[in-house]
Amino acid sequence: MTARRSDGLRVGLFVLTVLCVPVLHLSAQDSFPSRPPVAEKLHPVRFPPFQQVALPNGMTLLLVENHEQPTLALSLSFRAGSIYDPAGKEGVADFVADLLTKGTPTRDAEQIASTIEGAGGSIGASAGGDFLTISTDGLSDHADLAFTLLGDVTRRATYPREELELTRTRSLSSLDVELSQAGNVAARAFQKELFGRNPYGRSTSAASYKAITRDDVVGFAQRRLRPSGALLVVAGDITLARARELATRAFGTWTGAAPAATAFPAAPTKRSTDILLVNRPGSVQSNIVIGNTTFLPTDSTYYPARIATQVLGGGSDSRLFTILREQKSWTYGSYAGLRRNRGLGYWQATFEGRTEVTDSALVELLHQIDRVRTETIPDSELNAAKGFLVGSFPLTIETPSQIAQVVSTARLLGLGSNYVQTYRDRLSAVTPTRARSAAQRTIRRDNLTIVVVGDAKSLYDKLKPIAAVRIVDIEGNRIDPAQLNPTGGPVAFDKSQIVARSDSFQALVQGQVFGAQTGAITVTGDSISYTESTTIGPFQQQSTVVLNSDLSPRHTDQTSTVQGQHAEIHLTYSDGRVKGTSQTPRPGSTVKSITVDTTIAVGTIDDNTLPLLVPALPLAVGKTFNLNVFSSGEGTTKVVTVKVAGLETVQVPAGNLPSYRLEIAGMQLPVVMHVTQQTPRRLVRIAPTGAPIVFELVK
Amino acid sequence: MRRLLALLSLLPATLAAQQAGHIAFEQFTLPNGLRVIYSEDHSTPIVSVDMWYEVGSRNERPGRSGFAHLFEHMMFEGSAHVKKSEHAQLIERAGGNYNGSTAEDRTNYWETVPSNRLNLALWLEADRMRSLAITEDKFENQRQAVKEERRLRVDNQPYAAAFTDGLTWPFDSTSCFPYAHTVIGSMADLDSAAAPDVQAFFDTYYAPNNATLVVVGDFNQSELRRLVNQYFAGVPSHPAPEAPRCESNIAAAKGPVRREVHDAQANLDLVMRLYRIPEHRHADTPALEILNIILGQGESSRLNVSVVRHDKAALGTGTVMNPYGSRNGPGVFAVYGIVNQGVSSDRLDSLLSTQLDTIRANGIAAAELEKAKNAVRAGFISNRETTLGTAEELHHYKTFHDSIDEINTDLDKMLAVTSDDVKRVAATYLTPANLTLLIVRAGPGGAQ
Repeated sequence: MTARRSDGLRVGLFVLTVLCVPVLHLSAQDSFPSRPPVAEKLHPVRFPPFQQVALPNGMTLLLVENHEQPTLALSLSFRAGSIYDPAGKEGVADFVADLLTKGTPTRDAEQIASTIEGAGGSIGASAGGDFLTISTDGLSDHADLAFTLLGDVTRRATYPREELELTRTRSLSSLDVELSQAGNVAARAFQKELFGRNPYGRSTSAASYKAITRDDVVGFAQRRLRPSGALLVVAGDITLARARELATRAFGTWTGAAPAATAFPAAPTKRSTDILLVNRPGSVQSNIVIGNTTFLPTDSTYYPARIATQVLGGGSDSRLFTILREQKSWTYGSYAGLRRNRGLGYWQATFEGRTEVTDSALVELLHQIDRVRTETIPDSELNAAKGFLVGSFPLTIETPSQIAQVVSTARLLGLGSNYVQTYRDRLSAVTPTRARSAAQRTIRRDNLTIVVVGDAKSLYDKLKPIAAVRIVDIEGNRIDPAQLNPTGGPVAFDKSQIVARSDSFQALVQGQVFGAQTGAITVTGDSISYTESTTIGPFQQQSTVVLNSDLSPRHTDQTSTVQGQHAEIHLTYSDGRVKGTSQTPRPGSTVKSITVDTTIAVGTIDDNTLPLLVPALPLAVGKTFNLNVFSSGEGTTKVVTVKVAGLETVQVPAGNLPSYRLEIAGMQLPVVMHVTQQTPRRLVRIAPTGAPIVFELVK
Repeated sequence: MRRLLALLSLLPATLAAQQAGHIAFEQFTLPNGLRVIYSEDHSTPIVSVDMWYEVGSRNERPGRSGFAHLFEHMMFEGSAHVKKSEHAQLIERAGGNYNGSTAEDRTNYWETVPSNRLNLALWLEADRMRSLAITEDKFENQRQAVKEERRLRVDNQPYAAAFTDGLTWPFDSTSCFPYAHTVIGSMADLDSAAAPDVQAFFDTYYAPNNATLVVVGDFNQSELRRLVNQYFAGVPSHPAPEAPRCESNIAAAKGPVRREVHDAQANLDLVMRLYRIPEHRHADTPALEILNIILGQGESSRLNVSVVRHDKAALGTGTVMNPYGSRNGPGVFAVYGIVNQGVSSDRLDSLLSTQLDTIRANGIAAAELEKAKNAVRAGFISNRETTLGTAEELHHYKTFHDSIDEINTDLDKMLAVTSDDVKRVAATYLTPANLTLLIVRAGPGGAQ
């Protein structure tokens, strides 16, 4: 405000201000500008000064001094990320990071945590692909404590055995949670496809966590956590003199050469674009990741490629977001971006959306990828992308820790000492031609890796026309497409659930009682018979099925009448065969009649016995049964899947009955069936999905 | 005098250190009722514009759950002078960030932009306040986007559905519908909503007299006042909306209530103990916040040290108070843990329960209290480090405290909490009668 007022005293501006003010006041009430106001003059961004000092032991101290708030953040980074994990022991860098703050000769884990938290701060370490970083922050009146603690855990961590076991247990449990999230499953599969045996492609697994010993952890820390080459970044309320003094006290006597350079296997060369389909059965949505490896972080292609990927999918102004979310409503978000690794980077586009639109979304993603490679980006889009990347820069350096983050990323990736100062200018200078050729160089359209995580059964046939598809399960094991359709087999029924009794049901059509059904079971020495009688309006049906005492079918007899048509089924089962005749009424046409004489697999049941046998399955929530069911009307065997979806209390005329909810698929219509929890179990409710009829137990 | 001023100007660092997190602000109200609060900070050339409407899921009627959130989406669909998607474009092309979010008690919309684009952010907020464009087409599009968001964030994420629903279970939908339903709402209610409902909702709640504008950052205050007048003064005010009703008598609670659900996405069981707590401005809130830190925040918190580390019974534990934001009605204090492999949910629950009972019976140690207060002090500072953070803080004190001035005194109130206060609030609210116990059983589908 003060600055503006003194400017106004200059003659020209003063006159302008006096003339303008009344006009603006008059217009305030009645005229709202119909166009967005134009930008005022850009306020200059002064990149906050930072100072760099080389310490005698080879560490670099980088200070971002800022006294606005009484806080301080320290971070100490080593080239000790997960790419240095020994093969088969993925997770060592993570374990080291976790255990660094879990004990020193003078402080145990709880003392470390309560010391720093008692000062309003925190301490922790984490390992990325390239680097392991130990960070601490807190109130600046405890600066001494922060440096001391950082030095203590870095140099004298004891990696206690019991803490290692705790870390292992927690890592295994976290892995379970991680693998239950589709986005994580997609990211892991994508990295593996992209980088293969190169360490950027590896992921942790239960086996690798279990293989890690304390020697692995201690050895890794000794090899990789060395002062030479380490970067200590200090941000906040402290002077350089004080920071250097505290850093020297904490690390001055620590010596050691930088770790030797490591040679890694190259990332695989891909020969064609194909799809890895990761099966997540029943998933209501799919995750897609598309991409390929790119270049080193110092490659100058980065700037035009950054602009091109921004246009493609950098945010809600980008093509992917606008088309896939705003126009098609297929997704909550779809993005593209460049990722830099110290070794080799990659680009990726991601999509997360409904299973039914997965194939359409993939086709659209590929189309937009083609466009950014082959068409020149119009100036309006190019300027929008630049406007965002250049304009947003000051938003990333609002706090001392954010400034420290920007500076240390540049240092760690070796981006050159003037990277942060020239970043905006280099982006501004990108031309449409350079953006297009960078997109062509970056996006290898004929060698793309495509990972889709979702319900493979629904997706496989739809994805096949787009590119060759390999299917794997969440652990990465190959699945044959034929396996997607389950195979049935014999099930050990619980015979104690089958007792002599009679149940009656009402049939409701759109909420109105429209008919009735009775089912009666009789049990004799060597057989069980089930008789069912149904009347619903003009439809009547009677069936009797007889089973052997081992619950295999013996014979089925059924008569039905609908609108004057009469049909009968008579089937006899013996020696692995079923023989007989089957008629199906077809109102408005003639009765369809077939002769049945075919083999059936061991354990196959007759479809008319489902009401008797489903309650006798060994039910437990979460279980799924695949039954071979002979369809008496069609004369073929089908696989019927019975999923125990949960426990629900169902209100029917017979009472409020705590029940199993069974979801049955594989017949003409999916059916939701409820069966009592109380034994011997009874059918409570039968509701075909998508049909207006429901059967409810009356007594 | 002159000498003294010169001396003071040499001491900014010292002053800042003494008054950590102190926020200087000013305010004015337009004739149409729009309240404006602002705070200058010229350290980085950016500015945050943050509009809160005093409407959230608690204002929804039965059968219309999810409406406030669906409406938040509609606010990005265009207005008289801004086409669909143009809001995002204009802000992103300026290098800014923007978003909106819906909680039980408020809906917010904000932009952080380079400071030369303050005019753009204010103009965009004004245009949608005065002329939101509501069409069947846009409405249907956003209904689908919201349903997709629900699938993504709730239905397809482990624990999310149980957690979201669980927070509402301590409340009875007949006596307190405002907090007895979720912010995201039900798919069925979203399906049955119609565009005229959206118009009615807009007319009721999106009026200047039901909104507060906060601006923080690098701007000139006379320029701000001029722009706010030019853009907002012509928006008509509307009759004040009816206040939501919630009867929730914690003292008369008749629990505990136990509920068990299955989660097909989860691989491990989760236990969550939910307790009702009073509205944010209640005198017990500072002590509850200290209790929240001591029990469940950080590595050295009681639950982490005892249940995760010593007993090895949980993968993780924690506590949370009103996760979507503070409330002017009754809230929720939740204590939760995810079991470790091979540990039953009953065992984990009894371990969590033991920790709560210990505090109810014996209170807390002086060192724990001191530690929690340092964490509070650090939290106060870090919440105010960014322009947007400061803007949200100003809104918070305006909406949930008796006076905005408490933004600079609330810390003292927190630092005055005693061990007895913490013991007393634990004994008052963490009672079996006030408990809703939620057990989430890991369902089928995942690796075991």
